[in-house]
Amino acid sequence: MTGLVLTPRGEFEARVDLSCVLPSAEGDLEKLKIGYGAARAELGELFELSGAPDGRLTIEGGGAQLDRVGAGLSSGEIVVKGDVGAQLGLRQTGGVIVVKGSAGDYAASELSGGKIAVAGDVGARLGAAGDGAKRGMSGGVVVVGGSAGARAGERLRGGVVLIEGDAAEGAGTSMIAGTLAVMGKLGRNAGRGMKRGTLFVSAPEGLAAGFGDAGEHDLVMLRVLARRSHELAHLFAGRTRARRFAGDLTIGGKGEALVLANKVSASG
Amino acid sequence: MILNGVEIRDSFAEAFPMVGTRLIITADTPKWAMIAAKTMTGFATSVIGCGCEAGVEREIPAEETPDGRPGVSTLIFAMDYNSLKAVVPNRIGQCVLTSPTSACYAGMEGGKPVSIGKALRYFGDGWQIAKNVDGKRIWRIPVMEGEFVCDHESGTVTGVGGGNILILGTSRREALEAAEVAAEAMAKTPGCILPFPGGIVRSGSKVGSKYKGMFASSNNAYCPTLRAQGPTALPPEVASVMEIVIDGVSEKAVSDCTRAGIEALVKLGRDKGVVAIDAGNYGGNLGPFHFKLREIMA
Repeated sequence: MTGLVLTPRGEFEARVDLSCVLPSAEGDLEKLKIGYGAARAELGELFELSGAPDGRLTIEGGGAQLDRVGAGLSSGEIVVKGDVGAQLGLRQTGGVIVVKGSAGDYAASELSGGKIAVAGDVGARLGAAGDGAKRGMSGGVVVVGGSAGARAGERLRGGVVLIEGDAAEGAGTSMIAGTLAVMGKLGRNAGRGMKRGTLFVSAPEGLAAGFGDAGEHDLVMLRVLARRSHELAHLFAGRTRARRFAGDLTIGGKGEALVLANKVSASG
Repeated sequence: MILNGVEIRDSFAEAFPMVGTRLIITADTPKWAMIAAKTMTGFATSVIGCGCEAGVEREIPAEETPDGRPGVSTLIFAMDYNSLKAVVPNRIGQCVLTSPTSACYAGMEGGKPVSIGKALRYFGDGWQIAKNVDGKRIWRIPVMEGEFVCDHESGTVTGVGGGNILILGTSRREALEAAEVAAEAMAKTPGCILPFPGGIVRSGSKVGSKYKGMFASSNNAYCPTLRAQGPTALPPEVASVMEIVIDGVSEKAVSDCTRAGIEALVKLGRDKGVVAIDAGNYGGNLGPFHFKLREIMA
């Protein structure tokens, strides 16, 4: 079963707001009014609908104009076989969103539960605070297979963000808590203004100037993450040591950046 | 009932509900995991004087522990939840947090929770770090040696405390040797601890005393040197009695443990100085759990 399937009828001429199209949607979905540019359109005008809602929503062939896919999702699964636009999973509280392409800015913004997996890249401010909000993502998990734009994890309050590729300027800016892991290269000024929370990085280059080197340590916590964290376990397999940078010390922050050591069996 | 020359008396152990939790203690080496576990479960033989009963349940291989290091599973029981809630963080704080390289994890889920890191985090004086890993909160508390890692809290279970067997032997040496064999066999039962020294108590008690304020006193009916001075439970050939007390996470665990002990003693037989196996009770009116020796061995 694939649940409800949306197939675009053609190229979109304006941005499409899919915030009210969820796996739990009921009623006459063909007539469902959605934002289309400055106007509104019926879902059936823009997409061919097939299947039936059963907790799963599939979007065949996405597009960078598809904004707010999965916004407010609390349960069920959304699979997008293509790209999405801005605010993917905005304020999501549960359920799973899988994007097989790339996502735009503000993906996972203010996420508080559930999981988002993006196979490609994401735009700026992944998991960050949205317009007018003080705090970013506070729970849940985001895994990005590609790279992230500027300020990924800005004002992150909780949850786990894993970026398999690079992170542009300002990753983890003003982080409040939570975990942001960047396996590729860091852009400049990572962790600037960080209050608490953990950055896992592969090298210290790019960390903001306010980080102080606390030396390399054998951390039991890494062993726990290797066994308990479904998303991060693979980062720590065979790794028990990390170099700890504390910061951002310029604001009295108690956050940390842990630079993972090479996979070795050394201890002590 | 006589098995291999050993009399299984028509008696029963009378046991009580207790609230318990399991804690997994790990360390860099099995030696230090065991030192932390033994220290944390020390002075916890009886709720009468210790406030709780605790012991080592089993060693855990590194591949089965939450951090992949050698571990020890421990059980702590108290008479009620509030008592348990008080003793658990105290014991971890004084005996595990302090023990080199140790970490402490919840060994069970469900029931009303008892604090681990929830209480101990304050030792970090603001430098402590919480992580939410797959829905479970875990704490890193900086210490001089490195970091103490522990779960936020552990679950609890209503178990059974006070299961027991009495080993009637022909001499002090033979009674002790038999008790050691029985304790070793019983300690292998999952979900059970034997809270007394080496699993064995040589001073089993009866309820009450001639002295005011004493809740328990020497069980004179089983004291061999008092045989001539009152009612005795000991036949002439018995010169020493050892008791093994069992606390378990369930009635079945205590029953299985009791059977393991009796089977080990029967295997030794009368030739090794085991005259009879008895059990301590209070007439059956105080504790809701009755472990009838003959039914267990039937």
